Amino acid sequence: MMEMIGGEMPSFTEDRPRAGGALFGYLADQLPAGADVLVAGPHTDQLIDALAERSAVTCLVRSEPEAIELDARGRTVLCGTLAKLPAAEKYDVVVALDGLDRLCSVEDEQLDWAASLQALKRALRPGGTLLLAVENELGVHRLVDPTTATSAQTDSAWRPLGEFDTKPGNPTRLAGKLSAEGLAIDWLGSAWPVPEAPTLIATPNALQDGPADVLAAVAASAVGSAYVEKAVLSDPRRLAAAAVRGGLGPEFAAAWLVVAHRAPRPAAALALPPVLAGDGPIVEIAPGPDGAWARRPLTGEGEAGPLPTGRLLEELLLGAALRHDLPVLRRLLTGWAAALPETTADNVVVHHDAFAVLDPSIPPQTDVIRRFAQTLLGGGYAHPWPAATDLPTLTSVLHGAAGLPDDVPPVPAEDEIPLPDSRREHEEQLRALRRQIADATSRAQWYERELNKRDKELNKLRKQVALFSGTVSFRVAKIGFGVARKARNRLRKGLK
Amino acid sequence: MHHANHFYGHAHILAEYCGLDREHPPRINGYLQHGWNVVDGLGAGTPYVPGRPIFVYSEQTRRRAWSMGRRQATVVGAPFLYLLTMRPSVEEEKREGTIWYPFHGWEGQHIAGDHERQVEEIMETERGGPVTFCLYWHEFRNDAVRASYEKYGRVICHGYRGYQWRDTDIDFLDNQLAELRRHKRVASNRLSSAIFHGIAAGCEGAVYGDPMHLDKEHRPTADRIRRSWPELHGKHLDAAAARASALSELGDGYLASPAELRAMLGWTGYYTAQSAETEAVPA
Repeated sequence: MMEMIGGEMPSFTEDRPRAGGALFGYLADQLPAGADVLVAGPHTDQLIDALAERSAVTCLVRSEPEAIELDARGRTVLCGTLAKLPAAEKYDVVVALDGLDRLCSVEDEQLDWAASLQALKRALRPGGTLLLAVENELGVHRLVDPTTATSAQTDSAWRPLGEFDTKPGNPTRLAGKLSAEGLAIDWLGSAWPVPEAPTLIATPNALQDGPADVLAAVAASAVGSAYVEKAVLSDPRRLAAAAVRGGLGPEFAAAWLVVAHRAPRPAAALALPPVLAGDGPIVEIAPGPDGAWARRPLTGEGEAGPLPTGRLLEELLLGAALRHDLPVLRRLLTGWAAALPETTADNVVVHHDAFAVLDPSIPPQTDVIRRFAQTLLGGGYAHPWPAATDLPTLTSVLHGAAGLPDDVPPVPAEDEIPLPDSRREHEEQLRALRRQIADATSRAQWYERELNKRDKELNKLRKQVALFSGTVSFRVAKIGFGVARKARNRLRKGLK
Repeated sequence: MHHANHFYGHAHILAEYCGLDREHPPRINGYLQHGWNVVDGLGAGTPYVPGRPIFVYSEQTRRRAWSMGRRQATVVGAPFLYLLTMRPSVEEEKREGTIWYPFHGWEGQHIAGDHERQVEEIMETERGGPVTFCLYWHEFRNDAVRASYEKYGRVICHGYRGYQWRDTDIDFLDNQLAELRRHKRVASNRLSSAIFHGIAAGCEGAVYGDPMHLDKEHRPTADRIRRSWPELHGKHLDAAAARASALSELGDGYLASPAELRAMLGWTGYYTAQSAETEAVPA
């Protein structure tokens, strides 16, 4: 069933990915069954279908083609702009996991963030639940984005506000704005790696009091897999990890998610763990009764177990390399090669001398040391072997430092390891190449000078030889050698 | 790369450590620091070819080299420490007396100072046993100089360090190690490689007496050395502090495994076979 509420866009379809993914799916599954749910804005079919299995779902979209499609799939659809949404308090739950940016169409009033929130709130029954995502304009995904949000050229960017938008800039202000609207926060989480499909959500408490080093590693890994071979300004893994480790996780997360209820009290409370992670199967990370943090699968297969403690091996290796701390670097490499020779450095955490796998679901890898060599070179990191500027040489050195044989079989160039495609690292590689060319040029000049010197010496020696070969004694010796040679040749012939 | 790599048989020791031919070490893909110094590890006047590593003794030297514009200084540790790993000391040998290294310049430098007074101070200080004077090869060849020391004790020379790859005494450091292990103390009027080697070989160290400045020497450097390493200056040093300091200067704890060293020096099969193609290929 489709209802046109006004302001619908007949020939427009959304041109950016819709909100969805496994973690959003999990959150939606926690909503009370049998509720009246408004899904406001573009969400994936999968997410909407999952909700519709348990509740009465109404979708609000501005694109008419998308509304028709939803209608064809049997959904109840309101098509039009947010300003025309009836203020009837008729929904138990409003799901706005796409944020509030894609609710207004080109027609009618362009509501800002606060006004959009008001409009959604008015659709909610007292005690009703709001599931809202807010993109962080200073989130890691924005900081590494090579394109400028304020000059976007896509069809949906008719008002590219970027950081000039009025949405709240941190979780505290977000809570403030919600409470000003009579919405109380039940749960808040910071999300990575991108607002539309997070694979890691952690509460401020978990980030503040939890195992920061491991959570930093989990954040880096979440960001790393999202940005494989994507163009970025700088490596988002380092940014995400540094922020979480430094206690700035929420400030630099890609988005914040809130579960809030309309005053006075929630009709249904959602029980959510401190940390949710996963792209397919979801795991929760939470402190156990003994206070030790553990991992427990919530969906799919997987084993529950303690969360390994310690820091990410890759970060420890990079840190030791930057400090030129060869003894530590060698100890780490040796320990790694002995303990987990098939796990990449970005999936190993180290606590003192104990090496543990961070994410057991990642299959074993080969060539892990070469991959780390590539990280060192590709990232332009300073390290103790600055003259090893090519991958085979550095790999060979690292193998030696890890107590392995230094003869590393060459690997074909096409077997490169996919990494974030970072502009800053390109700059660094360009600088390194320029230096190598300059060095090679002056080396060539040096060789030429050396060659000239040797040529001169050779000429001098040739002249001396020529001079001496004119002397009587030399001639006598030469005749003698000639006779001897003939005699030898005769003898040889005779023997045959 | 440069003939200084072969001084004192350094390249030969590293080749032996790497399991290669000690008599004919392969060409080192860079410059080996050939003596302790307070600059970038390279000797004065070494023509540096860009893009090639300088293999230095210690992390401190590497930092100094970086600050002097040397971007490719690489810490390997002193060849003498590699030698020590291959020549473990057999039971504590009978050590006695002092081996004294009078400061010398190199061939082109001439020192000025009162030799007589210096020797008197040495004999006064080193009363505990015989004193062996170890002279630099060009002083050892000079009959007058040798005779002036022979009045007071045994006079030796560890060998010729070599020049332009010729006449290198590849046993230089082996000779030095053997002599050091025969003595209780190692001393000199200047802090130098010999003192570091001596302390590493188990001698008590001492640096005292007229430092015998060179004609055109940069005095602030000499003063800076005294300020930076006070624990290594004096007639009787705090043995633990002196040993820690000396070992750190030689790069103790930073020695590479034979495999890593081969890869660093450009001695792996891969590098020697393909260096021409791979040199300019970025990662």
